[in-house]
Amino acid sequence: MTARAWSIAVVIAALLLLVALPAFLREYSVALATKMLIFALFAMSLDLLLGYTGLASLGHAAYFGIAAYTVALLVVNANVSSGLAFPAALAVAAVTGAVFAPLALRARGSYFLMITFALAQVVWSVAFGWRTLTNGDDGIPNVVRPNFGFSLDNTAAFYYFTLAVVGIATLALVAIVKSPVGRALRGIRESETRMQALGFDVWRYQYVAFVLSATFAGVAGALYAYYNRFVGPEYLYVIQSAEALIMVILGGAGTLIGPAIGAGLIVFLEDFISSMTQHWVLVLGVIYVLVTLFAPRGLIGLVNDVRRRSAK
Amino acid sequence: MTSKDTTPFGVTAASPENRKLPLRRWRGAAIVGAAVLLLGVSGIAVRAADPIKIGILLSLSGNFAPNGQQTLTGLKMYFDKVGNKAGGRDLQLIVEDTQSKPDTAVTKARKLVQSDGVAVLTGVVSSGEALAVNAYSRDSKTPLVLSGDAGVDELTMPGPLQNPYMVRTSQNGRSVASAAAEWAYKKGWRKVVTIGSDYAGGIDTNFSFAQTFCKLGGKVIQAEWPPVGSADFGPYLTNLDRSADGVAIFEPGADGLRLARQYSEFGLKDKLPVMDIYAGLTFESNLPQLGDATLGIYSSLFYTPMLKTPENEAFVAEFRKRMHASPNNEGPNGYVGAHAIVDAINALHDDLSDKMKFIAALRAIKFDSPKGPISLDKYGQVIQTMYIRQVQMVDGKPENVPIASYPNVDQFWPFTEADIESFKYGYKDSKNALTDCAHLLAKK
Amino acid sequence: MTWVIHILNGVAFGMLLFLLAAGLSLIYGLMKILNLTHGSFYLVGGYIGLSVVQLTGSFVLALIAAVAAIAFLGAVIERFFLRRFHLDELPQTLVTFGFLFIFSDLALWIWGGDPQMLNVPRLFQGSLPMGYYAYPYYRLFLIAVGLVVALGLWWFQERTKLGTMLRAGVDDAEIARALGINVSLLFTLIFAAGAALAALAGVLAGPVLSLYPGADFEVLIFAFVVVVIGGLGSLRGALAGALLVGILDDFGKAFFPQFALFTVFVPMAVILVLRPTGLFGRQ
Repeated sequence: MTARAWSIAVVIAALLLLVALPAFLREYSVALATKMLIFALFAMSLDLLLGYTGLASLGHAAYFGIAAYTVALLVVNANVSSGLAFPAALAVAAVTGAVFAPLALRARGSYFLMITFALAQVVWSVAFGWRTLTNGDDGIPNVVRPNFGFSLDNTAAFYYFTLAVVGIATLALVAIVKSPVGRALRGIRESETRMQALGFDVWRYQYVAFVLSATFAGVAGALYAYYNRFVGPEYLYVIQSAEALIMVILGGAGTLIGPAIGAGLIVFLEDFISSMTQHWVLVLGVIYVLVTLFAPRGLIGLVNDVRRRSAK
Repeated sequence: MTSKDTTPFGVTAASPENRKLPLRRWRGAAIVGAAVLLLGVSGIAVRAADPIKIGILLSLSGNFAPNGQQTLTGLKMYFDKVGNKAGGRDLQLIVEDTQSKPDTAVTKARKLVQSDGVAVLTGVVSSGEALAVNAYSRDSKTPLVLSGDAGVDELTMPGPLQNPYMVRTSQNGRSVASAAAEWAYKKGWRKVVTIGSDYAGGIDTNFSFAQTFCKLGGKVIQAEWPPVGSADFGPYLTNLDRSADGVAIFEPGADGLRLARQYSEFGLKDKLPVMDIYAGLTFESNLPQLGDATLGIYSSLFYTPMLKTPENEAFVAEFRKRMHASPNNEGPNGYVGAHAIVDAINALHDDLSDKMKFIAALRAIKFDSPKGPISLDKYGQVIQTMYIRQVQMVDGKPENVPIASYPNVDQFWPFTEADIESFKYGYKDSKNALTDCAHLLAKK
Repeated sequence: MTWVIHILNGVAFGMLLFLLAAGLSLIYGLMKILNLTHGSFYLVGGYIGLSVVQLTGSFVLALIAAVAAIAFLGAVIERFFLRRFHLDELPQTLVTFGFLFIFSDLALWIWGGDPQMLNVPRLFQGSLPMGYYAYPYYRLFLIAVGLVVALGLWWFQERTKLGTMLRAGVDDAEIARALGINVSLLFTLIFAAGAALAALAGVLAGPVLSLYPGADFEVLIFAFVVVVIGGLGSLRGALAGALLVGILDDFGKAFFPQFALFTVFVPMAVILVLRPTGLFGRQ
């Protein structure tokens, strides 16, 4: 079989597996799988910015969290229908991205990392400190899931809903990445000056990438609010942003599928290892170090290397 | 690679032996069938030998790790004491680390219930996790015995969080704060400055203190709110209103340790007496490190290892052997939680099929413990003794010596349930109103 | 009198922050590595100091032991895990984060979860009476130590032969090597020095901040804030940023308590918006 046929076969097999999951897995495994999908999307959204545009952000949880808070505030405090809260959350995430982007894009490299960190921490401070609006660290419970004529309270039903949303978002991301815009972004990642010289409005491309990336992060955030039925300031904290960054790097930046797998793996490992030993943090740390040593381009990078070597 | 004409186990499909089972094999099948039938019929007897599984959800990593570890030790101590048996059956403990995250706590709770088949969940350290696990317990109808630190008052008060499947044997915020207020007033304090860690637990506790203090006739004249994780309390200490009679403080964890030292370093220790609500400064593990700095500090809590009852002395000795440290509130909380579970199972003669009966048995528990006498109110919240302690030198070491006690304190004390229901404002609307008695006591 | 205390306190806290951030800034400035393991070097260094004090009663011995042990640890990590990823940020981030996790759990395992506070060395115990209040001598000592460390680092970077070689090795490794400078060894030394600074901070800050699980992450965030405001890689920036944060934090909490959470992050965001490279950062 040709490489392309293989890829298609793998994708189809994976899809079938994902769809059939609830049939043979226990409820809590299905719930875990749902969480894996949500974070896969979160990681992919960051990959658009980091892997494709070359901008490493340490504040991506800001858009993730702000979308989650929008859902919670609208549904719980303003009695807005859960289904309507979803697009509102995306809009808020996008607007936040649009406002933060010009501030962050004044810097590059490590400074960009720092500014995105600072901006996200300000958002976190507001969520933590403005008790009358957000309940502070108590968080906002009782977030209701959307109801499209049938309830999503059932774990399997919510899983399918998440699968559908994440699936559509992924298709959109793939489309963006394969489009001329995506190619331009990759060129910008390689060399801003060269692309500028070729006549591209580099800043505008980066701006668009930033806002799109924030929006997709918002999709994941809204889903997470529904998933947990609860929103708290930890959704916005730097640890969440750092985790996303690790998921992308572990999986392999700039591949979309890599970060998705990285995210799923980390979510799964956290659950699995912590059931076996209370030293799961140590085990995870060792895994990160080993992956760096043996797969510095991430897991997908490792797969590519193996494929390349076997092709010789 | 298996060849096409062999099936697993090496039996070849085409061999003549398996086309017709000879009589000897029928006899074998009959014996096996009879055994299976017997097993099925005696299934009840076989099941009775199955252990009862108890799911324990605790933070064993991250910032709340010590709380989780201590609670776990307390739990295990009681279960070990009864030989890990209740109602004639063995008990099997399954421990899961919640990583101090509410969504992980729910995931683990689901695993314990669905995969491991536990009969009851217990533990839970942080309030955020408690809220999440409580919702899960209510939705899945799983009995939950909160034996960890999670003291958020609303869990056991009538309201939207109410869960018929839950009891809490550990603690709550209001009772400890009210004891502090009662005793401060009795000591002659009329004007108090409060320092509270700026998060839900701190605001709730200092609100309860202020409300009770106002009812008694005292007044909070200044409320300070250092953020969680404050490294430097300098600005808060130099801002204190010095005309106060005393300072009421709620600062848990490392913040409490820091404040305890800084309070002394900034020269305040002998000038303004301290009432340490919930023993954040006078935490057992802090005392040996602070030397003289905590001498004289008053604290309110439902326990002190210095309680001179035979039950507690035995408990403390065993705890010290296991953890090489003195117990603070978490160890006894775990111990009491385990005791409640065992008593309930015994009362039901190990028949746990009816969950409502199990809950009823849990709610009916009444026993003596290292903390003192324990029983539960109609909402499943613990009724226990509040102690006022003072740090004094005992055998050359600073210890929390009990100097007063309030027995049979329920979650509404010193108010009645009706009083609490009638108040207009809760802690969520009162952070900036602690100095306003009219606001705190306003009725609906 | 309280004004004096506020100023002293802001400066003392600022010096503490400088000590926390100096190691991170040094490593970034000279090697362009954002060392996330910095928090671990602080915490484990502090814990080692604590154990040495508990065994021997000597604060000085604790300082030496912690600095030596962590410098060695840092050298090992640089040599075997970071050197191969020269200028490759993503693997550097992943591996230093991995070590942060590893040491975080090991520290919990070895030293337990209860917060532990180093004792103030006898020489500096007690407080200077200041009106109604008193000001701890140890904090005054920290101000002095911070200044000494800052001056020492500056003198080393600008005035010594080793410092010049360092800057050469960083600015242009090729030429430095051609001139006979062992650039690899230099990098290992720099990283070890940065780690040692973090360990020094751990022991010195121990009596004030105490040591507990999670302190590694908290210190890392503090250090980030200081370095961001001051400018990555600038010693002057680290000092300026630290003092600014220390003073803003103290005065903010004293006079604007309702904004206590924001006294750190809002100035950080404001400065970055006006000067993305921080106060003294280079592009």
